[in-house]
Amino acid sequence: MEISNIQQVTRSLVFRLSFFVIALALSPMFAFAQGEALFKSKCASCHQIHKNGTGPMLSGARQRWADAGEAELIIKWVQNNAALRAGGKSKRAAAVFKEYAGSQMTVFADLTDDQVNSILDYVDAQPKDDGKAVPGDTGAVDPNAVPGAEEEEGGGLGFIWLIMAVLFVVIILSVGGVRRQLKVASSGDESMDKLSYFEEFKALAWKYRTISGLVGLVVVIAVLVIIFKGLYTINIMEGYQPSQPIAFPHDRHAGVNGIDCKYCHNSVTKSKSAGLPTVNVCMNCHKQINGQGKPFEGEIKKIYAAAGWDPSIKPAGGYKYMKKENPIVWNKVHVLPDHVYFNHSQHVVVGGIDCKQCHGDMTKMNEAAKVQPIEELNKVDGNIKLSKATLTMGWCIECHGAKEVAIGDGKNGYYDEIHRRLKKDKNLYKKYLDNDGKITANELGGWECAKCHY
Amino acid sequence: MGITTKYWKGVEELKQTPEFLKQRESEFPFQNSIESFLADENLNETSTGRRDFLKFLGFSVAAATLAACEAPVTKAVPYVVKPEDVTPGLATMYASTYYDGLSYASILVKTREARPIFIKGNKDFGFTHGTVNPQIIASVLGLYDSERLNSVRKKGTADSISVNVADGEIIKSLKKAKNIVLLSNTVISPSVKMAIDEFSKVYAENGTSKVNWIQYDAISYDAIRKANLANFGEAFIPSYDFSKAKTIVSIGADFLSTWLLSNEYAAQYGLTRNPDAKWMSKHFQFESIMSITGSNADYRGQIKPSENAAVLAYIIKGLGGNAGYSGSINGDAKLKADQAIKALKNSKNESLVVCGSNNIDEQILTNTLNNLLKAYGTTILPADAVEMFKSDDKQADKLFKDIIAGKGPDVLINLGTNPVYSYANGSELSKGLDKLNMYVSTSRYLDESANVAAFVVPDHHPLESWNDFMPKTTHYAVAQPTIRPLGNTYAVLESILVWAGAKQRGGKDSAVAYDYIKANHNTMFPLEDFAMLTHNSCKSLTSARELPVFKTVGIHAPTKGGGLEVVFYQKSAIRDGAMSSNPWLQEMPDPISKVTWDNYITMNPLQMEEKGFVTTFDQEHGLNMAKVEVNGMSLTLPIYPQPGQAFDTIGIALGYGRGINGEAIGRGAYQTKEYGGFDLDDKGNKKPIGTNLYPYIKLVNGAFSYAYVASMSKVDGEYPIAATQIHHTVMGRDSIVRETSLLTYLKGDRADFNPPHMLQRLNEHGHHEEAPLSEFDLWNAHPIEKVGHRWGMTIDLSSCIGCGNCLIACQSENNVPVVGKDEVRRGREMHWLRIDRYFASDEESAVGKKRDDDNFSYSKAEIAAKNPKVVHMPMMCHHCNHAPCETVCPVAATTHSNEGLNQMTYNRCIGTRYCANNCPYKVRRFNWFNYPSYKKFTEINPAQDDLGRMVLNPDVTVRTRGVMEKCSLCVQRIQSTKLAAKKEARTIVDGEFATACSESCPTNAIIVGDWNDSKSNILKSSGDKRAYQALEEVGIKPNIWYKVKVRNEEVQA
Repeated sequence: MEISNIQQVTRSLVFRLSFFVIALALSPMFAFAQGEALFKSKCASCHQIHKNGTGPMLSGARQRWADAGEAELIIKWVQNNAALRAGGKSKRAAAVFKEYAGSQMTVFADLTDDQVNSILDYVDAQPKDDGKAVPGDTGAVDPNAVPGAEEEEGGGLGFIWLIMAVLFVVIILSVGGVRRQLKVASSGDESMDKLSYFEEFKALAWKYRTISGLVGLVVVIAVLVIIFKGLYTINIMEGYQPSQPIAFPHDRHAGVNGIDCKYCHNSVTKSKSAGLPTVNVCMNCHKQINGQGKPFEGEIKKIYAAAGWDPSIKPAGGYKYMKKENPIVWNKVHVLPDHVYFNHSQHVVVGGIDCKQCHGDMTKMNEAAKVQPIEELNKVDGNIKLSKATLTMGWCIECHGAKEVAIGDGKNGYYDEIHRRLKKDKNLYKKYLDNDGKITANELGGWECAKCHY
Repeated sequence: MGITTKYWKGVEELKQTPEFLKQRESEFPFQNSIESFLADENLNETSTGRRDFLKFLGFSVAAATLAACEAPVTKAVPYVVKPEDVTPGLATMYASTYYDGLSYASILVKTREARPIFIKGNKDFGFTHGTVNPQIIASVLGLYDSERLNSVRKKGTADSISVNVADGEIIKSLKKAKNIVLLSNTVISPSVKMAIDEFSKVYAENGTSKVNWIQYDAISYDAIRKANLANFGEAFIPSYDFSKAKTIVSIGADFLSTWLLSNEYAAQYGLTRNPDAKWMSKHFQFESIMSITGSNADYRGQIKPSENAAVLAYIIKGLGGNAGYSGSINGDAKLKADQAIKALKNSKNESLVVCGSNNIDEQILTNTLNNLLKAYGTTILPADAVEMFKSDDKQADKLFKDIIAGKGPDVLINLGTNPVYSYANGSELSKGLDKLNMYVSTSRYLDESANVAAFVVPDHHPLESWNDFMPKTTHYAVAQPTIRPLGNTYAVLESILVWAGAKQRGGKDSAVAYDYIKANHNTMFPLEDFAMLTHNSCKSLTSARELPVFKTVGIHAPTKGGGLEVVFYQKSAIRDGAMSSNPWLQEMPDPISKVTWDNYITMNPLQMEEKGFVTTFDQEHGLNMAKVEVNGMSLTLPIYPQPGQAFDTIGIALGYGRGINGEAIGRGAYQTKEYGGFDLDDKGNKKPIGTNLYPYIKLVNGAFSYAYVASMSKVDGEYPIAATQIHHTVMGRDSIVRETSLLTYLKGDRADFNPPHMLQRLNEHGHHEEAPLSEFDLWNAHPIEKVGHRWGMTIDLSSCIGCGNCLIACQSENNVPVVGKDEVRRGREMHWLRIDRYFASDEESAVGKKRDDDNFSYSKAEIAAKNPKVVHMPMMCHHCNHAPCETVCPVAATTHSNEGLNQMTYNRCIGTRYCANNCPYKVRRFNWFNYPSYKKFTEINPAQDDLGRMVLNPDVTVRTRGVMEKCSLCVQRIQSTKLAAKKEARTIVDGEFATACSESCPTNAIIVGDWNDSKSNILKSSGDKRAYQALEEVGIKPNIWYKVKVRNEEVQA
């Protein structure tokens, strides 16, 4: 798990290299990457860097503890704040606890001193004037990432073609009409005028029957191809974006605040379902962040209503618990048919696939979640580039054909055993697996029906 | 050949009647073809032309296309606060305990999204060692029965009332009452016992309690207890240890399927049936019906029930004892008894004699015999008494007689028993109960007995409630709930405490029962942690009981036999009838007769022929009906040809005829019509399946007897029977079933008992030579032996007892639909796994082995012997590496995986059924209908109501109409096992993967695993000298192996 986190972070570091030139000069890249990863997975749900939230802002935290004369104790505080408070030696600890009305910080006994330092290094290195961190901002939208742009372009193109085709037919008909008039006028043959357009066309077609036969064949084949292509688009879910009961901005949570996807979708590493965050997870942060006076205050009140708080009464000590919980009824975005078995943990834990591979870059998604079209997914840095429409079987197996599986590298006992067995027959191994020098998911059976259908 | 034999199709042809001559002319003699076939009168008025058809076709294509473009909106509702141990998409297993008054087991309950979907045995804890029975597995379906009561009922009102109102009224009557009776099944819960004790103390006058507590079970084992009372001075049922018994003699006890703790015994018995072990048990069975246990016996004597005592006395005499009685037994049984005496003399105290009859004298003889053998202390453990089956027949009989006579108690609290159904004079009893001042029931259904109760305060389903159990003096267990109660039901324990005034109702999430049980536990075991016990589900205790002293007692003169005797027996699926509304159990083919959904009279076909009954039946032809007179009453049922039934005896199964007045006891208990809907009688009542036999049972020498003298006569009428196997013998085909005797096996020459299949070929000199089949191949080998995994299975026919657990477990795991009697009759049952049962004929020395190759008569081989040997053979998809089904599929819907699985892809299948036609094992099943929605299956398929659907396994697709399906070797489990290993970066441990069938097998006859794993059990087992493959000569290379059945006989075979 840790490994894939770091890989992911490493990639995003390269992408945003310019932001971190100074920071990179100060600390080794690895420790820094570790700090960012740890911050996002452990701290970001409660702490922001430059603003107080559920917990105090983290930038300058080290300095504040140093100012209180307890520079060393911040490490202990992060690792086990309860123990530090219980010890009674730290005044700063008692002060912070009091300031936050006795709300307890989670204990992170598993963090080493170095890891805590790497987090603090990371937060202190973040420039304050990062535009994205300003509250109330709608979030910087990458102009290149506007979804649907290609679609409009494509649709416009088709429309032009249609107009041109109609124009073409009109021109042909009018030219034909003129020609007929001329012909009748020049020959004086009245019978010619009695021929309908269709009869004339038939006569013409018979005259040039080889050519018209060939053209007819081409037309029939083209029509069939178009029909079939049309049928193949039925039930393609690309761009499916149902309305949601709460306008949830992924960019604010995953992007601006840098909360790890797995914090909310926390069964993604355990279960076949990634899981929607339960309201208690929302409330970890939104107990504090109530958006008072902001345009989105109403949306956050919906969470309170779900959690059983009464958002209409706000006494001095905070909202009131009414004990009437109302689960949030979301509209499912990614819907697979019942005859398909898909397991998130298989892909995320074993396959090491980033969420972005199938769901796109959610850190930039301001609107309700949707099934990202394949063009969008292909734009995401680090994704395996695929061609088939998202959420189709073609898309699945294309990826299974492309994704390499690390086998026999000594890191996974399961694959090592498979590798050992495969090597027993060198020829077979070469023939079935190693013909292209790499081992993909499909070569290990990833294209077999009963891997997903049972 | 001077004589030309002429065969007539019927009497009509012989007489050349005009109707016959007319019919002979037409190819389809019956004119009522299409319209009556479709059974729709309106069809005559409509005329559908070709053009209309095309219009409809065009419209439906367009409509379907349009409909497909519109994606339905699916909702996703996360928890508000997520419970710690529920993760959507992950299964959670809970250790618990099952007890319903009849069966007991330590179980594991699999839940998905907090709903139980599968029950299996707990192999780590408990004396049942992971064994269950079909009823326990199927009980999970009963949880989701929509006819289960979901609130308190008051007589005469259709609407439910508040429990507090009911409690108030009940307590008021209790306070006024002069005498109170608590009627329950045998209670093995220490907490319930304690609560009843508290209750009795509350309702007392001048120090004596007004409460009388009577335990009453539908099936009585009172005779064993009474016999022990006579012999040991203490009424108890001992524990039996079949695993130590080198010789087992059973007099009519079906100890592998229905007798006492049969699941525990099946596991013990399985241990002794390994021919490779130091010794193999020798099993003698003397019985009238063909029971599961009898079908597994090495020697089986056919006796009438009245000969039980005589056989016991004969063996006692043979061993030098004195039975104080001697009777005559038939010649064949005497031969078997002599063999038994010889074996018992050899094995001495390592022997066990059990008797299934509920006759005190016969049980005393059994005790005498066991004492003579010195079996007490080795195979019989009186110190470890079974606390179940404490029904006192005389006491219960007196109570019911009093109630009928109007002398009943002021208040009767019925804790879930159903005497109106299971007592002789049910209809009178119902009237008597109705007249009581206050009659309260805690039944889960508004069943026969609860129907007349003033109040019904329904109990939880066992999967919804806390409970504690003491099934034996040395065992303590708890049951934990695995789901929040679905309806407004109330734990019996809580109800008793509330009625005693000791506790208040705890509401929907009541902790009353939990607190009480936990407090009891902490009092009994102050140093132990209740949470730990709940995790393990049970623990062993030490017993302070001492081995009681045996005292010889005399017996009464045994009951006289008659010309024809009837035995009332239990079927392994239906048993006492309490779960007869469970459609899985109704559709489970009886392990011996293979009949589903029905109750019938069994009789030996050879004797049936003598008496002029038909002995064959099929889709079009039913069986004859017969009228049986017992104890002055008569009943009419179809008569079924059961090979192996003793001559002059008939058998009829208990547990049928539930809900005679159309009570809401679950839809599965009633007959349905051919196109759906209940079959109603003249009064508009639903017709129950079969006939209730309890009214025919009476006290004989102080215990309810299950065998009587009877008379039988043929009556008019033909009755359609739905059986999954209507052919009984294997007709000498030793490539299907292989069987040998222990002597032959131990000699060790494989060619004698498991010869390789040889084929002819030309050698390089152009001469014919024989070569083993393995050297021939039509196809290139599929590379499964080297790549990754190769999943396989071995089935040991020596261990397989044919109990049917695997079939029900498979049904539960794989969402196998229930199809009903009419479809089974048409051969369209959907079970992925069936158990073929073969009887030997006189033409075979052993099943599948021709007695004489040259003069083998196939027509004679078709007839089962009078006392045939039996083989049970589980049959499912063999996952052939050269699968014939795969090559004929036009759309590649069935393909082979590199792991050796024959994969069935439902969404690809277009339903040509070529694959099923090409399958040599006939294990493919076609979805003829949309079982989860078509009206024909509304009453029987649990998937047709919202509640019943909750039992479906979400990891397995529910198949739709028009697709083929079959055993997938539980591929969903293979995948999840692999995933678990991959996620933990380790190899798969052998034994980690288990199919539903292998997991549920009480004798471990089914072994599954990865054949490519050099250390695996399956590789070893499939390489055993007993291993063979069925129909190997077809050359399809299956991944399933069978192991030759070995019988412990003193003959060479």
